[in-house]
Amino acid sequence: MKASRKDPFILTAAAAALLLAFGPALAQDNSAAQLTKPQSSINVGVGYVSKDNQRFGQYNGLTDKGAYGIVDFSLNKRDDATGTWFRLMGRDLGYKDPELRLEQKRQGDWGYYIDYTRIPRYEPYTINTGLQGVGSTSQTVVPITPGAGTDYQLDTKRDRWTIGLEKAYRQWNVQVRYRNEEKDGSQQWSQGRFGFYPRFLAKPIDYTMQQVDVMGDYNTDRFQVRVGYYGSMFDNKNKLLTASPPNGTNYFGEMSLPPDNQSHQFYVSGGYNFTDTIRSDFKVSYGRATQNDSWAIAPPAGVTATSLDGRVDTTLVQAGVSGRATSKFTWRADLRYENRDDKTPQVVNASLESYQPRSIERTTGKVIGHYSLPNGFRLTGDITYDQKKREVPEATVVDFRETVNEATYRVELRRAVSQTVTGALSVAHSKRDGSEWLDNRLDDPTFNIIAPIYTADRDRNTVRLVVNWMPSDPLSVNFRADQSRDDYTGRNTETNGYDVGPREGKASNYSVDASYVFSESVTGTAWLSHGDTRMSEATCQERSATLPGNPGGTCQTGGTNYAWVGDVKNLADNFGLGLRAKATSRVDVGADVTYAKVRDEYGLSALDANTAAQLTSQGPLPDITTKVTTVRLYGKYALDRKSGVRVDWIYDQYQTDDWTWSRWIYSDGTTALQDPNQKVNYVGVSYYYKFQ
Amino acid sequence: MKDLRYLLAAALQGLVLVFGMSAGAHAADAGKDLVLRGDAVCTTCHTAEMTPHVLEIGKTTMGTTADPRTPSCISCHGESLKHRDGDGLPDRTFDKKSTTPIAVRNKACLTCHQGGERIHWTRSPHQENQVACTSCHSIHTQHDKVRDRKTQTEVCFTCHKTQRAEMRRASRHPIAEGKVVCSDCHNPHGTSGPNLLRRDNVNDTCYTCHMEKRGPFLHSHEPVQEDCTICHNPHGSSNPTLLKVRLPFLCQTCHEPNRHPGTMPDPTAINSGLSNFSTNKAVIMGRGCVQCHADVHGSNTPNNDAAAFRH
Repeated sequence: MKASRKDPFILTAAAAALLLAFGPALAQDNSAAQLTKPQSSINVGVGYVSKDNQRFGQYNGLTDKGAYGIVDFSLNKRDDATGTWFRLMGRDLGYKDPELRLEQKRQGDWGYYIDYTRIPRYEPYTINTGLQGVGSTSQTVVPITPGAGTDYQLDTKRDRWTIGLEKAYRQWNVQVRYRNEEKDGSQQWSQGRFGFYPRFLAKPIDYTMQQVDVMGDYNTDRFQVRVGYYGSMFDNKNKLLTASPPNGTNYFGEMSLPPDNQSHQFYVSGGYNFTDTIRSDFKVSYGRATQNDSWAIAPPAGVTATSLDGRVDTTLVQAGVSGRATSKFTWRADLRYENRDDKTPQVVNASLESYQPRSIERTTGKVIGHYSLPNGFRLTGDITYDQKKREVPEATVVDFRETVNEATYRVELRRAVSQTVTGALSVAHSKRDGSEWLDNRLDDPTFNIIAPIYTADRDRNTVRLVVNWMPSDPLSVNFRADQSRDDYTGRNTETNGYDVGPREGKASNYSVDASYVFSESVTGTAWLSHGDTRMSEATCQERSATLPGNPGGTCQTGGTNYAWVGDVKNLADNFGLGLRAKATSRVDVGADVTYAKVRDEYGLSALDANTAAQLTSQGPLPDITTKVTTVRLYGKYALDRKSGVRVDWIYDQYQTDDWTWSRWIYSDGTTALQDPNQKVNYVGVSYYYKFQ
Repeated sequence: MKDLRYLLAAALQGLVLVFGMSAGAHAADAGKDLVLRGDAVCTTCHTAEMTPHVLEIGKTTMGTTADPRTPSCISCHGESLKHRDGDGLPDRTFDKKSTTPIAVRNKACLTCHQGGERIHWTRSPHQENQVACTSCHSIHTQHDKVRDRKTQTEVCFTCHKTQRAEMRRASRHPIAEGKVVCSDCHNPHGTSGPNLLRRDNVNDTCYTCHMEKRGPFLHSHEPVQEDCTICHNPHGSSNPTLLKVRLPFLCQTCHEPNRHPGTMPDPTAINSGLSNFSTNKAVIMGRGCVQCHADVHGSNTPNNDAAAFRH
């Protein structure tokens, strides 16, 4: 599965050829021209990665030990007589994530561009498996002794082409954009069911995604409008993964893959200045998303439909107006209505569960006022009201609410203009509630004790403090603190009185940034941040042999029935240091160090004695700590005013003790492992040349 | 390698010598415009030697004088009559310590840039929070960091510190590589949707890259259809596939405990063979619940077994 590296020397030669083609016309040695004419540059060289890795190269493709070409260029030329720009940009052409863009534009008249980029993604785990047919739509599971299979480094890549056209005429401007994206490769997947534990599969990816944007703008001093169309089409060449050997209904012989679908939207948005101080803006749109791909497998007898014939129509209306009531008071009011109308027909058949429509109406209103105070201070107050109204489906597996309402009240004191201290203090309170709970209708209708986290009653309090301090010219300091707390109210239907479901959530992030200008040629930056996110929830494990569950909304005790609380924490510490220096007239150096340490904690506690005994027996869930350290150094030596040599060194270390993979073996013996301590050095040497 | 580098260097230098073209811009005589129309009144003092960065606006689209819409110095900075007489600052300044009111600064930009992507500027939280256009954009330079995919985050993270920390986590979008950048999902100039999202809602924004999740599917997972961010944090996470919370805890925030969704996780290692398996282990290891519920975003299989997103 290892992709071959591109020959850096060939790419280097290609870059030189580009310069040969576009370089003439460009050299000027005039100080005014140097300042006022667009600059171009080219950078060619070789980089070397010291070690095979899974994380450092996850998205740039530098996953394999060895040499890579460094090829970057940016050609920018402007014909001053006509105002016509020509731009050609290439980046990372020697890596596995190259970018190319060609653009020509007569400013204020016409323009076009062609853009290409490749986005690779390497799965961070090495898969060792006996699975046969990886990459295809027909796969055979071959059980193995763990570690005795074949190693795979699964990956996907997106090849994205975009073409854009633009034409302006007086107040009109029309833009057309078309994008075609091919996504290919394989992703980690699996199948299983209760009692038949997961066996590994590799999801075959062969997608074509197209997007079309057509926008027409008409702009005057008072009135601006945009009329547009946005189309989005998805095509999957693989409809089904055949997995063998099947095992009745336990290991499914067929795994469905995403069906083709498309969406089309027309919209009008605009703004109008009634006066110098009163402005309104609006948007109206209508979209239709459809999915009528054939069923992945033959339907049960009696189902005559050959596809879902899915259709969702979405209408949006938004309008707002803002103004200045007095010299000190400004305001804004905004209303937004979005209706996702699910018009998919229900496939009703005795042997097939019906399609459950997901229509949602969302209405959001907001009013905000700002009052100017002395010394550059400003007081703000706003109220936001948000309502979601959902169509009630026939069958639900979770408790359901037709309507959820949330009101948010916020007060802020801000100082935005000052030569020494600016900042803001903001306090907000939100209250969410909704209509009567509807019990889940699919499982045990008497067992309804969890209020889902996204519809549950919730009180949210947030505080934000930002201070920018510029005590002297060389020093500036920024402090920012964000804190929020969510308190959830459950359904309170559990008969033991256990407060099950989401209980509370907390999130905070504190950061300090500082920059210092040591001299005209030396600047430094430093930052430090600490994040703390927590969530607490309670539930119970019901393993009654006789479905459905245990009646009456009671968390049972004894045996393998457990009532428990999960306290999940995510604690993150980050810092960064940066230095830029012009050491001599010829030498520039820079250094960046970043460090991130993230610890995830999974606290379990018992709500009854039986659960407490089990927790003692099985032991706690260990923490997972991940550390990423990156050091980047560069030095540039100018051979002359236009050219020079650049040396880059990157040290990247990824450490993790993620036991959830190292302790895991799929039921067919497949393992997915990563090196828990990945250290990679990258050294790049390149020659750069600047010209106009 | 060394030879190749020197060979290239020599070749490139030779190219310039052979094909180098005549100089483009002419040094300005006193009283003549240097870069923009009518800039002589400014560039008489703001010369290339004294304030070179001022002239670098010539490298930008603002300096394309063939386009009659491009501004002069005073379009943005005002007539600044006192400043011309050597008394004080220009009428409007845009630096970090400027005392020009933010609204006045921004109006200088919006006079020309009010349409298109900026139609909803008055609705933008950036406008509400008194962010100046020049807080993010550098006008007098060819390389405006925020418009370069490789450097854009440096600008956005000046304020968005939580996101700066999140993008360094194990599960992330390729933001550091410039393959997915803030402005792919957000229009900082204002939109009609929530959180400055480019499309009208969260899901439509996610579908621009993840269209396969759109469906609708015969068996649809309600939060998937409603809002991807109920389960995912797009800015980065410790958990696989950008999940907000590791499975099974995330699933348990909604699902009733009857049958097995309330399973209490057991960290005991799975050694080998089915006899060592249990649901309590499987829900916390690897990809957790979705190892069996593999089509959690929706299934189009006309089969009741698929209602639980297993195939």
